[in-house]
Amino acid sequence: MPCLHGLRRGRAGFRTMVMIGQYVPGDSVVHRLDPRVKILSVIGLSIMILSGTVLTGAVVGFFLVSLIPLSRLSLRPVARALRPIWVFVLILFLLHLLFTKGRPIPPLGPWPVTVTYEGLFRGLGVAWEFILLVMSASILTMTTSPTELVSGIERLLRPLKAIGISSHDVAIMISIALRFVPLLLEEMKRIKEAQTARGAVFESGPLLGRARAATSLMVPVIMGSMRKADDLVTAMEGRAYRRGPRTTLRELRLSGPDYGALAVMILITAVYGLERYSLGAGGFPLLS
Amino acid sequence: MIDVQYGYEEKGRAVLEDINLELSQGKYIALIGPNGCGKTTLLRHLNGLLIPRQGEVWIHGMNTRDPDTLQEVRRRVGMVFQNPDHQIVGMSVEEDVSFGPGNLCMSPGEIQRRVKRSLGLVGMETQARRAAHCLSSGEKQLVAIAGVLAMDPAYIALDEPTAYLDPAGTKRVLEVIKTLNRNGITIVHATHDMDQIVEADQVLVMGEGRILYNGSPKEVFTRIEWLKELGLDIPKVTELMWRLREMGNDVGPDILTLDEACIALSSRLKAGQGRV
Repeated sequence: MPCLHGLRRGRAGFRTMVMIGQYVPGDSVVHRLDPRVKILSVIGLSIMILSGTVLTGAVVGFFLVSLIPLSRLSLRPVARALRPIWVFVLILFLLHLLFTKGRPIPPLGPWPVTVTYEGLFRGLGVAWEFILLVMSASILTMTTSPTELVSGIERLLRPLKAIGISSHDVAIMISIALRFVPLLLEEMKRIKEAQTARGAVFESGPLLGRARAATSLMVPVIMGSMRKADDLVTAMEGRAYRRGPRTTLRELRLSGPDYGALAVMILITAVYGLERYSLGAGGFPLLS
Repeated sequence: MIDVQYGYEEKGRAVLEDINLELSQGKYIALIGPNGCGKTTLLRHLNGLLIPRQGEVWIHGMNTRDPDTLQEVRRRVGMVFQNPDHQIVGMSVEEDVSFGPGNLCMSPGEIQRRVKRSLGLVGMETQARRAAHCLSSGEKQLVAIAGVLAMDPAYIALDEPTAYLDPAGTKRVLEVIKTLNRNGITIVHATHDMDQIVEADQVLVMGEGRILYNGSPKEVFTRIEWLKELGLDIPKVTELMWRLREMGNDVGPDILTLDEACIALSSRLKAGQGRV
């Protein structure tokens, strides 16, 4: 089967790309929330995470962690989504730790560098923010099927009609792109195998040779995509597709839990606003 | 219904020439011919994917040249293509089937009803929520047929729908096509596999952009040498009967299916005490 198993068996690069925040089918409250609510929440949370300080960071962190059992996700896939970013988090932390001026921390041993309290706090803060960002996005994509995501985006972009962008077109574009990802990976694997069978080397050897091998891989993949796109257009037209409005299987409608989720978001925003504008100078900026 | 003097031009020459056809309702029409003879091009004229240079194609009184009725023509004439991977638009099965009705701007309730019904007709109702790329080729092709059915067509044109399928998938798809035909849908089925045309009501043989023959399968297989000259295969049973006839045996030229052959041969075997 060319299904997920095929992708998992692929190279590590593909695997992690596919695995980050991959949809985990389920029937929890979070799964059933309107995708628009979830998308807007993630955007809102991201803004708050990036511009907020200690209190916001803590509240959002608590909120996101409590979403994990609420969406009946086990910890493992969430941890797996975070795994590829640990290196970045570490680098971010170390950069801030080592290059922030301030009051030096008395060395606990024979350290060759001085680190400061400010560096430590800022490093921890930035790392925390980064983890929260990835977590919020992962929870969104893990509890929302690509189809729902696309229909959510479609609805949210509808006002753009005023400036001549058709949200229907955008939605069709995204969903076709998503639909073609597994197909392209599959084709890439096949072409690679065919070329390996004829002596091409992808995994080792000098960098230049590998780059050349990668080019020889990309050309047929791109050619193949062109043909696929051509066929697909014909098939779409054959099924009465034309630009402009079309309807979908499910019309999005807000229900009880959606209003609940919006209320929680408003609460978090209130905490954020309070901290940012009332406590003002009292807050400790994590990232500035 | 189809009257094409000069169809679609490619590299300076017409792919279709002098085609004049009437496709009657409810028939199972098989379209055969060597590669590049214009089968695909002819099918694409049926629902206005291609418009003839000279001549006209009429579907239920609608000219495919008329942009106002083009949507309606495409609803009436469904098209299933060769490569199952290149015609699935949706990410999940139900989403793909809903693509056609969605384009016709039906209400979500109506779309859901149609998706359920079409998936039922092809025997895929339990797979509605599956991801399209996880299906086998045969299942993908069934989904493609369901996608067309959801638009409630009177005709379905299939362009070598089993070319990419394994024997099991082929069998399933052919069964579904036959059932749909029994339910009153006109089938136009382009194929290379001569075994698939035996049960058709009408056979069109194409060559170099023209219709060379238009008749029943029984008649077409009386011209075995001619078919071979065209480079077409003969169904195994027909070939066997033909060879037996060539060897001077008295077996009828109208035996096409395995069942007919069994009956004919066994009666002769019994009568001749073990000799044909």
